[in-house]
Amino acid sequence: MTTQLTPTPVASPLVSPKPGYLAAAGRWTGALAGAIAIFSVLLIAKGANPVTTLVDMVVSMTSGFSIEQIVMKAAPLVLAAMAVVLPARAGLANVGGEGQVIIGAVAGAGVGLVVSGPAALPLMLVAGALGGALWAGLAVMLRVTVGVNEAVTTLLLNYVALDVMLYLIYEPWKDAQGSGQPATPPLSIEQRLPLLSGTAVHAGIILALLAAVAVWFTLRHTAFGFRLAVTGGNPEAARRAGLRVGRLLLTAMLLGGALAGLAGVIHLAGVEFKLRPGLTTNIGYIAFLAAWLARHNPLPAVAAAFMLAAITVGGDSLQLDSGLPAATVNVLMALILLAVLGWTAKRSSS
Amino acid sequence: MSDLVVDVLTGAVRGGTAIMFAALGETLAERAGVVNLGTEGSMLVGALAGYAIAAETGSPWAGLAAGAVAGGLLALVHAVMVVWRRSDQFATGLTVMFLGLGLTSLFGAAYVGRAAPGFDPVAVPLLSDVPLLGEILFQHDPVTYLSFLAAPLLWWWLRSTRGGLLLRTAGERADVLHVHGYRPGLIRGAAVVAGGALAGIGGAQLATAYAHAWFEGMTAGRGFIAVSLVIFAAWRPLWVMAGSYLFGAALALAPALQARGISLNQFALDALPFLITLAILAILGRRTLRAAPEELRRVFT
Amino acid sequence: MRKPLLLALLLPLVACSANTTGTATTTSGGTAAPGKDSAAVGFIFVGPKDDYGYNQAAYQGSQEVAKAFPNLEVITAENVPEDDNAARVMNSMIAKGARIIFATSYGHLDAALKVAAEHPDVAVVQQGNLITTAVPANAGTFFGTVYEPVYLAGIAAGKATKSGKLGYVYAFPITQTIDNINAFELGAQSVNPAVKTYAVSTSSWCDPAKQAEAAANLLKQGVDVITQHQDCTATVIKATEAAGKFTVGYHADASAIAPKGWLTGSQWNWGPLYTDIVKTTLGGGFTGSKYNANFRVGYKTGENPFVQSPYGPMVDEATKSEIDKARELLKTGSPFAGPIKDQEGKIRIPEGTVPDYTTIEKIDYFVDGVVGTLPKA
Repeated sequence: MTTQLTPTPVASPLVSPKPGYLAAAGRWTGALAGAIAIFSVLLIAKGANPVTTLVDMVVSMTSGFSIEQIVMKAAPLVLAAMAVVLPARAGLANVGGEGQVIIGAVAGAGVGLVVSGPAALPLMLVAGALGGALWAGLAVMLRVTVGVNEAVTTLLLNYVALDVMLYLIYEPWKDAQGSGQPATPPLSIEQRLPLLSGTAVHAGIILALLAAVAVWFTLRHTAFGFRLAVTGGNPEAARRAGLRVGRLLLTAMLLGGALAGLAGVIHLAGVEFKLRPGLTTNIGYIAFLAAWLARHNPLPAVAAAFMLAAITVGGDSLQLDSGLPAATVNVLMALILLAVLGWTAKRSSS
Repeated sequence: MSDLVVDVLTGAVRGGTAIMFAALGETLAERAGVVNLGTEGSMLVGALAGYAIAAETGSPWAGLAAGAVAGGLLALVHAVMVVWRRSDQFATGLTVMFLGLGLTSLFGAAYVGRAAPGFDPVAVPLLSDVPLLGEILFQHDPVTYLSFLAAPLLWWWLRSTRGGLLLRTAGERADVLHVHGYRPGLIRGAAVVAGGALAGIGGAQLATAYAHAWFEGMTAGRGFIAVSLVIFAAWRPLWVMAGSYLFGAALALAPALQARGISLNQFALDALPFLITLAILAILGRRTLRAAPEELRRVFT
Repeated sequence: MRKPLLLALLLPLVACSANTTGTATTTSGGTAAPGKDSAAVGFIFVGPKDDYGYNQAAYQGSQEVAKAFPNLEVITAENVPEDDNAARVMNSMIAKGARIIFATSYGHLDAALKVAAEHPDVAVVQQGNLITTAVPANAGTFFGTVYEPVYLAGIAAGKATKSGKLGYVYAFPITQTIDNINAFELGAQSVNPAVKTYAVSTSSWCDPAKQAEAAANLLKQGVDVITQHQDCTATVIKATEAAGKFTVGYHADASAIAPKGWLTGSQWNWGPLYTDIVKTTLGGGFTGSKYNANFRVGYKTGENPFVQSPYGPMVDEATKSEIDKARELLKTGSPFAGPIKDQEGKIRIPEGTVPDYTTIEKIDYFVDGVVGTLPKA
């Protein structure tokens, strides 16, 4: 499992599959080594031993339990990363994954409050996707109709989404049996995603991987995917070529929102079972970065999502084994991202 | 009723000041053509540095200076990445935010719960006695008075000085600068760093003048508010000032009402600043982007 | 082609089983007593372990456990969110050999019960919440009757106020907090019948800027004694002190930052209780013990882990003796001894009734005299 920490093997599809393979691999290795070196300096400044700290961290990621945890963390990240990848192809920056994830979970939980029986789970999944699409739709409607940039509006809507959820769990949806805790009643067993037999991993990961493959196929092999790429490449040219750019942007964003909403509802129905204040723990933002790490290519984005999930899970070791503050893992994640974003791309000279 | 209005407006100035510094900083960066979502991170490192240095040296002014330096240094990461490495501005900004969050957590633990001298309110002689306005504007801490000057100063600087012209040109027509032998990248980088320094001052104000404490993640999204505010203000410093107070007022309304025994839904209120901004963006529509610096419009498409 | 390969790999896996994670499955008999002879004990905290408040107090308790059992490894984790991440961290601790787990935040209960259900051999105790279903053989909750010292501090506040207005800055309307606000008002009322408590929420366990705004508004309303239920407490205390008003503390003795206005407060002393829980569990006696339940301790038995803080200089002898008298009464009575009226004036606890701990922990209304509105469930 250590390969997940050192993504050199996945470097080739990410950067340039053709000639510069070795150079790219070299850049990746150099970038990661640089990130880890800086992190080590910080650890030394804090009086921690970087070698044991990092070794403990990597070792902690290899237990069967940790691997299950990584897979479960990765499932919503993969979906939320697809929610960035798909609109990005059309040139849209969906920074609103976080809000769409929350609204997806809210919609799923809402259905869960009123529907029981075998129909509940499918309806929850549909509602989650619709909720996420609606939330993304608000932003893209502003873009298409009055020309407001979607990066700004999706970002703002993240905060509104959080407040919507908090409003619901503090008043109308609060579990009356929950001893005052702000949370919805737990989902019943039939409303939860089943587990893959023999594991603690819920079936959402299958959904996530299928969605990733579907996104890859759509972008690579369909006319719709081609039109998106044309629009993303040059909207003006696309318009002149007769493409209905507004509608394409709308569709791409709605699909993206639906994927993020699905991420929220599988996190709810697979892991959390209740809406509660800290439900998403930055799934949307981390997924945005995963998508960027993979330069908006769907299958590498899956690998990136797994890598960031692994870092998060490995981060537990930073405090359990090394006694460092929990958020230290953010430093490691940020350094790796900066290294990869800044030093592995071909520089577009202007 | 009128005292409720006074309380909300006083609270708006109290709570809007840190946001204003950050938003003015973001204005600098964006007028030069760079969006910096890492502003939240710059505010955080500014808050920690401000509080920690005030605790170590006994001087909140030294803390304020340290906050500016720390905020600027974190923004330097963003500047290097986007100006010279040409990495994506949104992704880099978010990453810089996470970096700030992690660094302040790693090095901030020692200052949680530690006492530090801070800025106390100083009533301005005469002015503070003016009915209503005196209380709203002139019974604050010294950093708040600085903020009253900062926005007009920035407005004047951008409009009327050579430096301001260069910065605006870097954001509008970078190639023109090339022709005249300037290096637009350098100007942009400087604008981002200066913007980060302002955000750091905002963070330091939050920690040493408003909350009188350091706590992990204490900026709680105010840096993101600052970024959205700049667009709402159409990149104009004086509008940024007004917008900051609007946000501050929305944040101040809930406690002002609650202290009178009136509860609106807390979360409806919390969402209000964001909804107002969205509504304004929807109403202004394309005009918001038309006001945007040319180079920035490229980022936003 | 990658896709068919991926599908071929995945499809056989889709044999699924029901997701019963975290539900109260019956723990199988025959396993070893939970936590017996454990080599390590794990503590999770919701905030940083040096927050000068709730989490720091719990962390100090964990260090006393370490001192009491030199051979026991004490593993701590801070900033553990109140969601499924908590279960992950607890599981990591179990993987490191911990078979006794303290989940110290109110919102950690769901994750704690989930971990308990998965590991019948691990004793999981949760601090502050209430298990409302059947208590599993390897789980329990524990807490002090926090509202009792808060009631006593309310007496000091009621005596000290000149304006008749007290302020309470709180985070979330959870029952623990509602009890505290009510007890504070009831304590103040017992010596000053017309006194009001103004309750302002910040919707966050620690957002210093929101706390500053809440305190500023309370002070502006003429409130002259402020207390709080927040994880980090310095901001509100400093604002109150700077305004020359009185502070009642919570979580920790913060008289150092309010040398003039400090009245008294309530603070944690977890060491003895933690140590006893660990001792009971290591010996194999957890199941069936008082800790294998919703364990509450208060002035009735005199072992409350939540104790009154030292007095500040402004508290006179008359007030101290009032408080001493009230403390005696609490040994048989309760701050919530009837009659208790809610804000509409309706009698909620009739005269002559002394409610038990569980009843008190289900109070979902403000008592008469509290100014503020609770969200409705």
